[in-house]
Amino acid sequence: MSHISRIELDIKDLQSLKEACKRLGFEFRKNQQSYLWYGRWVGDSPLPEGITEDQLGKCDHAIKVPGAQYEVGVVRKGQSFILLYDEWVKGGLKTKLGVNAGLLKQAYTIETLRKEARQKNYRFHETKMKKQIRVTLTL
Amino acid sequence: MKQVIIDIMADGEIKIETRGFIGKACLDETDFLKNLLGYEKARQLTTAFYTKNKKVIKKHLPLCG
Repeated sequence: MSHISRIELDIKDLQSLKEACKRLGFEFRKNQQSYLWYGRWVGDSPLPEGITEDQLGKCDHAIKVPGAQYEVGVVRKGQSFILLYDEWVKGGLKTKLGVNAGLLKQAYTIETLRKEARQKNYRFHETKMKKQIRVTLTL
Repeated sequence: MKQVIIDIMADGEIKIETRGFIGKACLDETDFLKNLLGYEKARQLTTAFYTKNKKVIKKHLPLCG
């Protein structure tokens, strides 16, 4: 072992996000310009960085989560994408997406690594562990 | 055998560990992964990082004087 890094995820690859949706049974809706939410910001949580109140409900693509009333908005910010969604319990997204949309981010990371491994001819191995999913790349 | 182990938690947190690399090679050879996924917010170097030609380079801190 030689070093350990902690990474802050940045969603950059739409194809991997689509694969992540497929993996979780979500439906990626390309070019859907709005997503379902409460419809009015009530100020109970801070706005995502770089997003104004007017931008809520608008997106470049959307994700439909089966069993949830609300949807996830995928918004382009420069070279990256951010996920906008309403966490209100009755919207149904919080339980499906996990804390901070962690389950979707987890699936995205795995699919991004799988794609990279395929392109670079690395051996890819995925293991489900108690608290995490472990991906081992053999270079 | 050079391996990169990526642990992805259910809250989206990512931890990358390298194995089988000697010295600074681990940093160079895993840069692409960090750029691919996002950015590095913390790094911890381990013993193998300070290894050169299978010998650990000992570093001493002057504690006094």
